[in-house]
Amino acid sequence: MKVSLKDIYCEFFMLGMQLLGGGYVIVPLMRHRLTEQKSWISEEELVDFYALSQSVPGVIAANISTFVGYKLRGKLGAFVSLMGIITSPVISILIIASVVDVLLQLKFVQTLFWGVGIAVIILMYLTVKEMWAKSLVDIPAWILFFIAFFASYIFKISPVHIIIFAMIYGIAVQKLRRKT
Amino acid sequence: MILFYLISEFFKIGLFSIGGGYATIPFLFGLINDYGWYTTDQLTNMIAISMLTPGPVGVNMATFAGFKTLGVFGGILATVSLVLPSYLIIIFISKLLKTYNNNFYVKSVLYALKPAGCALLCSVMLSFYKSHITSLAAFLLLVFLFLLSFKFKKNPLLYIFIAAVYGFLCQFFHLVFI
Repeated sequence: MKVSLKDIYCEFFMLGMQLLGGGYVIVPLMRHRLTEQKSWISEEELVDFYALSQSVPGVIAANISTFVGYKLRGKLGAFVSLMGIITSPVISILIIASVVDVLLQLKFVQTLFWGVGIAVIILMYLTVKEMWAKSLVDIPAWILFFIAFFASYIFKISPVHIIIFAMIYGIAVQKLRRKT
Repeated sequence: MILFYLISEFFKIGLFSIGGGYATIPFLFGLINDYGWYTTDQLTNMIAISMLTPGPVGVNMATFAGFKTLGVFGGILATVSLVLPSYLIIIFISKLLKTYNNNFYVKSVLYALKPAGCALLCSVMLSFYKSHITSLAAFLLLVFLFLLSFKFKKNPLLYIFIAAVYGFLCQFFHLVFI
């Protein structure tokens, strides 16, 4: 049975609306809607797509939607599901963005946001803490961490260059390891 | 010309940010120095708002930054540019799905991208610290939220709500600039 493009768009539009607080919640949402209710994808495919989405560049929730769309209807399906998932986030941000500057002129709102900036620092710290445990697994990883940190913080080298360097570094380290 | 930069910069972010929502933050921070499309304060506001609205944080921030630069059209354009590279890559790799994650090069690159991504986020965090923690009141809030993080999980809503209330109370008692 072929799933219509319109159904794909509507389904992913609805999913996009329910993604609060980041893209991570997309897996349970997709399991509920796409695996259990519609059987568009199997549980196994969902797990595979999620793993792949993390190792492909870009936003994870958008990636996993693209994978599902591609599985259902090829390139066109992937395009439609991707557009579906970003529609409601884009609309909601555009609405907020057009009023936020006006609101920020109010002294009252300014003080609310003054505190919020500090909350963002703590939320970033919590993310760093999580990443730290997962990523700094051995000495070469530590060395890379310090190189990347100093390159970025002290020398203000652009993240793009640091990421390219890290890719080469990773391949070089693993090649050396395979030899020995 | 700004149109071209907007597309190319967000295309680059989509291409080089690996590992989820927060991975885009160092790139967006870098754009402040390169183009000045928005300020550091606006970026932290953007991050907070992205956490409170539906959708992946990366997509939200691209829309926001694009809007700041070129209005509604800029918001849509930046978002599409952000997701385009991963769309192309997924179409390209979908034929080798089964072997992709076990590929030697993919594994080696991912092994290195995690510590590098962590370092980039650390660096932005310190820059935010320097620009935001400018008063005793701010420092006290930071310490309070830090202590709170031992007790509560990473729930953006909770931290942002507490911080906003604190900001309001400080204003009420005129403490913001001490």
